[in-house]
Amino acid sequence: MTGHDDGLPNDPEGIRLMIHALVDGELDAAAALAAERRIAADPRLAAEHARILALRGAVGSLPRPDVSDAFLARIAAIGVAGAEQQEHAEATEPQMGAPSAPPGLIADAGRGLRRTAEMRPWARTSPRTGRFGSFDWRAMAASIMISAVLASGATQWVMFNGAEDGVADAVASGHRRSLLAASAIDIASSDRHTVKPWLDARIGVSPPAPDLAQDGFALVGGRVEVISGRPVPALVYRHREHLITLVAEPRQGAKIIQPDNLSSGGFSMVHWSDGAFSYWAISDMERPELDDFVARFRKAAV
Amino acid sequence: MSERALAERFNQVVVPHLADALALARWLTGNAADAEDVVQDACVKAHAGISGYAGGNARAWLLTIVRNTSYTWMARNRPRAVMAVGDLGDLDDMAAAHGTSRPDEDGPEAGLIARADTAALQAAIAALPRPFRETLVLRDINGLGYRDIAAMLDVPMGTVMSRLARARGLLASELGRAP
Repeated sequence: MTGHDDGLPNDPEGIRLMIHALVDGELDAAAALAAERRIAADPRLAAEHARILALRGAVGSLPRPDVSDAFLARIAAIGVAGAEQQEHAEATEPQMGAPSAPPGLIADAGRGLRRTAEMRPWARTSPRTGRFGSFDWRAMAASIMISAVLASGATQWVMFNGAEDGVADAVASGHRRSLLAASAIDIASSDRHTVKPWLDARIGVSPPAPDLAQDGFALVGGRVEVISGRPVPALVYRHREHLITLVAEPRQGAKIIQPDNLSSGGFSMVHWSDGAFSYWAISDMERPELDDFVARFRKAAV
Repeated sequence: MSERALAERFNQVVVPHLADALALARWLTGNAADAEDVVQDACVKAHAGISGYAGGNARAWLLTIVRNTSYTWMARNRPRAVMAVGDLGDLDDMAAAHGTSRPDEDGPEAGLIARADTAALQAAIAALPRPFRETLVLRDINGLGYRDIAAMLDVPMGTVMSRLARARGLLASELGRAP
């Protein structure tokens, strides 16, 4: 088969590469058509084409590594680290420029709102007048900005108030999932000197991890939970056949909260804060037993 | 660009392609556990260099970093494995020569390839010389186009094509030989 005048290479190796390119969708329409014609005319090329297709299909359907939650948390931690630095930087900056900004903003916004009100009936009666150029777009922009500021303030307030519930739910579902997973822990160790550095290396935080084996609560390991989009350390203790997940969210300088009962849905949950960490302990144990654990942990962690 | 915008961009550019990053690192390093370490290193580099990402194919951008990180990691942790392959130029010559020297030899039947079991296919891919293996993985597992692969490996497109054809040819004959 020589002497084709279709723009494709005529040497056997060249046409082979063209078949690979056809299978990979790298040929333009004209070249693809020419390649398909060659394949149709030559059984040997057709066999090669079928082979490449079969191979591509086989390789493409190989099992792919899955992105585990723990790994995703490690990667998310990389992104979070950068954003947090910025939050510290921004916390000081806007306050310096702030006092001068609001009066102007508010005045403009007021003007903008009035103008919008004035424009509306006019716009409704003659929508095709086309005098949109008379809009004071600066005032409009300012009024939009100020409502955005008000709205985001409100959102923050709502989120702050709903936050505790959201975290409790996330802790509860993390614990439930861990009971269903092949392993409830990412790092299995009864040695706090292993668990603490492991957590520290992954997310840069390591809560107190006293071993309470003598009290009947053995430290069995730790894992990383993702709560409200942030990786937080979780310790796992065992009491007879029950597992206890203890999530410890760093909250430096937060007010101290005495243990509070958040139990629901068949799980006992206790929440408290010691000023450095905010803790959630959850287990399927009875409440008095979990209280016993919390009391011993608080005593040992100090 | 603010740090917050950079963090946002990291979430958009890097995080969606973690599975691809793990797959590439797994085939370059040879196992899944090492792949996680390599991808984590690569993500730290990606985060540091995110402001240098100028749009375009985010997957190709991340995979370029993953590939470079894999080889740095291999050189540090498994110097022998990296040195096992000969000069790349030789391999490409070999691929070209090999291709033209046996133009008439028929490969195995397509059905045989399609029925090959997963373990045999994985072993065959792992046995490919590195330049062929990475080209095949970037194309058939990561789904990159020839142009992106050529840019990533810094070779002409014709080289990508001949490496890919060679990689597939080796896999096909390996799978065809299996009982």
